[in-house]
Amino acid sequence: MIATTELTLWTDVFSTKTGAVYQCDAERCWYVDFAGKVARFDHRNFLKLRKAVYAIDIEEKLLNTTTDPDVEIIFICACDHCYVLSLAQIINLKELLEGTFVMLELNHIIHDRLFSNSL
Amino acid sequence: MKDLLRIKSLISSDIEALLNQQVKKEALSSSIYLAMASWCNRNGYDFSSEYFFKQADEERHHQLKFYKYILDMGGNAVSPEVTGIKQEFNSFREVFEEALDQEISVTNSIKNIYARCMKEQDFITMEFLNWFLKEQREEEYKARRALELFEVIGEEGTGRWQIDKHVGQIKYDSEA
Repeated sequence: MIATTELTLWTDVFSTKTGAVYQCDAERCWYVDFAGKVARFDHRNFLKLRKAVYAIDIEEKLLNTTTDPDVEIIFICACDHCYVLSLAQIINLKELLEGTFVMLELNHIIHDRLFSNSL
Repeated sequence: MKDLLRIKSLISSDIEALLNQQVKKEALSSSIYLAMASWCNRNGYDFSSEYFFKQADEERHHQLKFYKYILDMGGNAVSPEVTGIKQEFNSFREVFEEALDQEISVTNSIKNIYARCMKEQDFITMEFLNWFLKEQREEEYKARRALELFEVIGEEGTGRWQIDKHVGQIKYDSEA
C-alpha cells in the first residue's frame, strides 16, 4: 500500500483496473504501481520501459503454439526494477503505459497553451 | 503537474526517433561513399576516388551534427548499425548514378523531418535543419554535375579519363 503522506506529493497520471502511474514533481520521476509493487522510474528509465513494453509482439505471442510458458522478462539496463509478466499482464501494462503517455502528452499541450496564452 | 517530459528534453520522442533515423542514414551514406571511393581507386579513377573520400567525410560530419544535436536537446542519440553496403559496381557511370540516388533520398528524408517539425511547431529543430537543406542543394548539384560530365564529355576513347579528371574539380559556389 502507498502511504498517504507520499500520495499527497504524487499526482495521478493514469490508472486502470490493474495498475496506476503517479508523477512526483519534487523528485522529477514517476511511480508505477503494477504487478504487486510500486517502482520508481526516472525520465530515461521510464522511456526505456515504454520502449521495452511496446517492442513485445503480443500478436506473435498469442499465435505462438510452442509449449514455452507465456512469460516475458522486462529488464531495463541501469534500472533497479525488473518485471516478470504473463501475457495478460503485458497487455495490461501496455494499456497502462499507453494511457499514461497520452496523459503526459496532454499535460504538455496544456502547459504549451497556457504559456503561449499568458504572453 | 509539471511537464516533466518537456523539462528533460526539448524535442518530442517522435522527432527524436526521426533524427536518430537520419543519423543512421548519414552513416549509411558515408559508408556507401567509402565503398565508391574504394571501387574508383581500384579501377584507376583516382580523382573520383578522392572526391568520394571527401564525400564520405562530409556525410560523417553530418551524422555527428545530428548526433550531437539530439544529445544537446536532451534526447538519446543511438549509434547506428550499418550493414549491407554495396562494394562492387558495374560501371564508372553507375557509381555516380547511385551517388545521386543517395543524395535524393537524403534530401527527401530531411524534408520529411522538416514537415514533422512544422506539424509540431518545433521551430528550433526547423532552424537546425535549415543548414542541412542548404547543404543538400550543394550535394545534389555536385552529384548531378558529375553525371552531366558523362553526357558532355562522353565515355568513348579517353572520355572516362577526362571525366575522372573533371570530377575532382566540381565545385558549388552559388551565393543564392
